[in-house]
Amino acid sequence: MKRRNKILALSLTAAMAVTGLAGCGGSGGSAGGGDPKAGLTVAIWDNGQQKGLQEICNAFTEATGIPAQVQVIEWNSYWTLLEAGASGGDMPDVFWMHSNEAVKYMSNDILLDLTDKVAASTVLEMDKFPEDLKAMYQWEGKTYALPKDMDTIAVWYNKTLFDEAGIPYPDGSWTWDEFYEIAQKLTKDDGSVYGFAANPSNEQDTWMNIVYTMGGCVLNDQGMSGFDDPKTIAAMEFVDKMVHTVMPPASTMSETGTDVLFGSGKVAMITQGSWMVAGFKDNEYIAEHADVARLPKDAATGRSVSLYNGLGWAASKSTKNPEGAYQLIEWFTTKDMQQKQAELGVTMAAYEGVSDQWVNNTDKFNLTPYLEAMDDVVFRPSTKSTLAWWNPMVEELKKPWNGEEDMATACANITAIMNEKIAEEK
Amino acid sequence: MGTIKKGTTRERNEFVWGWAFIFPTMLGLIILNIIPIFQTIYQSFFKTGDFGKGNIFIGLDNYIKMFGDAEVWQSVINTFKYAIVEVPFSIAIALVLAVLLNRKMMGVSAYRTIFFLPMVAAPAAIAMVWRWLFNSEFGLLNHIFGTNINWISDPAIAVFAIAVIGIWSIIGYNMVLFLAGLQEIPRDYYEAASIDGATGINQFFNITVPLLSPTIFFVTITRVIGGLQVFDLIFMVMDKNNPALYKTQSIVYLFYQNSFVENNKGYGSTIVVLLIAIIMVITVFQMIAQKKWVYYN
Repeated sequence: MKRRNKILALSLTAAMAVTGLAGCGGSGGSAGGGDPKAGLTVAIWDNGQQKGLQEICNAFTEATGIPAQVQVIEWNSYWTLLEAGASGGDMPDVFWMHSNEAVKYMSNDILLDLTDKVAASTVLEMDKFPEDLKAMYQWEGKTYALPKDMDTIAVWYNKTLFDEAGIPYPDGSWTWDEFYEIAQKLTKDDGSVYGFAANPSNEQDTWMNIVYTMGGCVLNDQGMSGFDDPKTIAAMEFVDKMVHTVMPPASTMSETGTDVLFGSGKVAMITQGSWMVAGFKDNEYIAEHADVARLPKDAATGRSVSLYNGLGWAASKSTKNPEGAYQLIEWFTTKDMQQKQAELGVTMAAYEGVSDQWVNNTDKFNLTPYLEAMDDVVFRPSTKSTLAWWNPMVEELKKPWNGEEDMATACANITAIMNEKIAEEK
Repeated sequence: MGTIKKGTTRERNEFVWGWAFIFPTMLGLIILNIIPIFQTIYQSFFKTGDFGKGNIFIGLDNYIKMFGDAEVWQSVINTFKYAIVEVPFSIAIALVLAVLLNRKMMGVSAYRTIFFLPMVAAPAAIAMVWRWLFNSEFGLLNHIFGTNINWISDPAIAVFAIAVIGIWSIIGYNMVLFLAGLQEIPRDYYEAASIDGATGINQFFNITVPLLSPTIFFVTITRVIGGLQVFDLIFMVMDKNNPALYKTQSIVYLFYQNSFVENNKGYGSTIVVLLIAIIMVITVFQMIAQKKWVYYN
């Protein structure tokens, strides 16, 4: 009896040790051939798109018999988890790639090489996708991701606040100077309403558009910093003027977020990317009070430039089912599914011409300005190692935002940081 | 002869079983803690490549860079500010609560549960709730007090606001440890003291505190270490646009930023080695100082 107890105790101890180990082991890499019917995990970072994408995945499962499950990992954790997965060998099978990080993943042999399969495909029409976007996800002649979507930027304005101030709704023919005057009129002295809001980290969706519209640039023709260009500095000083006269205090914007301030009627206008539409549609206040207008022009250049970017669908090199992963990416990239993505209101499509469907996905807002913005677009600036200078750039801009430094000094500092980091890449 | 042999078998048995029982913990500690410590120290001498490939040995360059990096020293100051507020308050409040709850009264287990509850909630959820309580625009705190204080975006006070969250979440845990310690103190001492005319406060300082000192010492050591490792609260509460971030980010936060966001694991490791060194020095001093004030029966 006693002996049995001892054996029991010993086996329990052993079991504890084994389970303790299994926890950190995880599933290792995959075998060469793979299982063509193995289920796929699909990782994305945008909650607003989960429902629509899962629907597209379900259609894929029906057609091929391969299950595909969409998981949302919030943007800040997404890259940490993906990198840990890439180092540890346990990644999602199919996932979004972003221009900030693409080169790092492509150059380190983490992603499944799609080149031959794309070339052999009978259903893909790769000539219908924008060149910049395709090139972004190619490295040394090989294709590692296919374009998922495209995004542009437009102004969101609060109709009720415009009515109260007696200002007609913008029709998209305005200039940035007129925009500023309107923002001033909308800003109330008691601080209950502000005309406009933007954080230093609203780069792609706010201040970079102003820089390019006013003839400046973030990266110049030589691929170095454009923050020493007088036009860039002038544009940033215009942004600075708005920060200090028509926006809430920087601390308020950082604590609460500009989209929340807009969604609570505290701010009358913001500029946001088309990827926010799915979320704004579900926000009762915004759906009732807001509408969309095209970004203002610059009086001197006459241009209204919107930045554009697009995500890519990539697969892990170590996936258990490389054939299925490719099939899913191909599925997402076909004209039909690009159109379905637009119709469901997930995002605008990367495929030429089908985004008209996206405009009609909701009757709550007029989304045409996002489509019109395609007339004059600049691709989101990037280098081999974008984040190395992107984060310090945003960090430096917090100083003029908080009034600790004037904008010209910040631009000079950013130029120095960027040129140093970009030189290190070579 | 027989008895000696029996004794040694028993000793041997105890030896074997003792090790068998701590083996899983030892294994976990070695694999999850001790090996990574040495790997981290090793990594701090490298300029690390993407995904752990292509590391280049650079000797002490990371350390030289760190000693000249104002951001690192600011984070050390921030971390100390946090710990100096969090540790004493969380211990003092928990101690008082434990003494008050260590008697027969109505609903004592309900109170104990209530104070322990923050420990059960996920730190990320706690931080999200407090973030909105502190919000300067829509927050409950400013609303109730009719103030307009930027609790978490004013560089002068943000770190203390975060320490308040830390105190709130750890009180229950400290309290449970103190309650366990209080059970060990014999009732007789209090009875004798009452007969001699000692007041409750006298009893607290002359009986409870000295006899509870081993528990207080244990809690202090673990709380100082925990406080110096603060990360999740700052990570969840502070947005990257927050103007107070520079005066709030802790050593571990900076380690996370460098290692996982900017992908410079070598430098991140260097920062965390500095933290290990700081914690070791402080703990050694605490171990020496305990001889002056901790009474083991």
